[in-house]
Amino acid sequence: MKVEREDLGRNLSDMKRSGYTYLVKITAVDYSDHLEAIYILRNMDERKDVSVEVKLAPTDLWLDTVISQFPAADWYERELQEMFGILIKGRKADRLLLEKWDGREYPLRRSFEWGKDYERM
Amino acid sequence: MLTRINIGPIHPSTHGVLRLVVDLDGDTIANVEPHIGFLHRGVEKLVETRMYMQSPPYMEKLDYIAPMSVDELYVSTVEKALGIEVKERAQYQRMILLELQRIASHLFFIGALTNDMGMMFTGFMWGFRDRELILRLLEEATGQRMFYVNMRLGGMVNDFHGDFEQHVLKTMDYMEKRIPEYEKFLEKNPIFKQRTKGVGVLKRDDAIALGVSGPVLRASGVPYDVRRDNPYYFYKELNFREMSLNGGDSFSRYRLRVMEMRESMRIIRESFRKMPEGDSTGQMVKLRMPPVKNKVVTVAREVPRGEELMYMVAGDQKPYRLSIRSPVFINLHALNHIAKGHRLADLYPILGSLDVVMADVDR
Repeated sequence: MKVEREDLGRNLSDMKRSGYTYLVKITAVDYSDHLEAIYILRNMDERKDVSVEVKLAPTDLWLDTVISQFPAADWYERELQEMFGILIKGRKADRLLLEKWDGREYPLRRSFEWGKDYERM
Repeated sequence: MLTRINIGPIHPSTHGVLRLVVDLDGDTIANVEPHIGFLHRGVEKLVETRMYMQSPPYMEKLDYIAPMSVDELYVSTVEKALGIEVKERAQYQRMILLELQRIASHLFFIGALTNDMGMMFTGFMWGFRDRELILRLLEEATGQRMFYVNMRLGGMVNDFHGDFEQHVLKTMDYMEKRIPEYEKFLEKNPIFKQRTKGVGVLKRDDAIALGVSGPVLRASGVPYDVRRDNPYYFYKELNFREMSLNGGDSFSRYRLRVMEMRESMRIIRESFRKMPEGDSTGQMVKLRMPPVKNKVVTVAREVPRGEELMYMVAGDQKPYRLSIRSPVFINLHALNHIAKGHRLADLYPILGSLDVVMADVDR
């Protein structure tokens, strides 16, 4: 299911009301010309999964936080911020979770050069 | 006045390199923040630079207590992306080996949990002694004691040898006698009961909201098991019991794993009965694969620690992107919620009952 970024919070709330209460995973893919954030939700009673995809332009990377609807999103959102540089709005400033990078380079972006000696924090 | 203390990152009870920053109100935990990332190797980025079949050894190092389960998940993801069928006999063999791996992992869990509670050596040594028997079986089947790399596209590296079934069934008979001993030793032990029963309760709704999976979720009363609810291989054809407990405490999480070991043994026996004759070897390892263009596949598996899921965008010859849902990453995230309000000494049994492997948390 593809949704617009602005409608993400409302869509996920609707999904939650219709029984999709379990957040399996939030992840993202860098397709060079655009990025895609993927939210995989599960209906625990019907044993059904659905994925919600949000398209993002590389120059304008932000998403609203869904932590109030899905507490499980917490660390996934921090991971997205660190690995892809997607700013998650509505969160307080976080300590870096996984990587101790200086915050200017994002390892899972395609532009990240393999083997280059990036500066550590 | 809160006191802040630091535990780890190098500490025998943190199950690897995990640092816990604990805010204490007297002796009561007000907040516990896990600091992770000490073992972050960037596996998700690394596999983007490797051909498909160069990656299984990296995958095995994710969950080093149950390496085969992650290896199998990765190979299955590649098989799904490339549209490769797995031989029927190989599917049964994978199930048998994965369940053996699950028993070994749960025995490790029992050893580590009792160790966390200061019951070094009896529980620890018992768990490790019996785990070693299972590892010996896996060594017999694959040639390696811990890091197997015995999956190939469409099958296994080699078929089981002639006596393997007998050896497994003999060990299962032995384990059948051992498990009641564990139960007697732990569940009749007042110290073990006091330190786990009613400690670290995770309620059903919180477990769903926090996204925990595997034994932690099932011990909180949600009987979700990927093997049954999103079945793969021949799990749906087996006589497979629904398992869950309503306690939600550390004791339930321990108890559920003991129940799972029994269930695994039944699955192994049944799989041997149903396994067809023939050959289970897969394709020769070759680096060049039929071309695929950005095909998205999602594969989930019930690994010993919970639901491991791989989201792969398959590119030409290499994964374009591989995203791994690690069950322990998200189970560890729930630690703060579970441990709040308990005494500091209870933190270790709670962390132990979550059964974390830091390599899989950090990836």
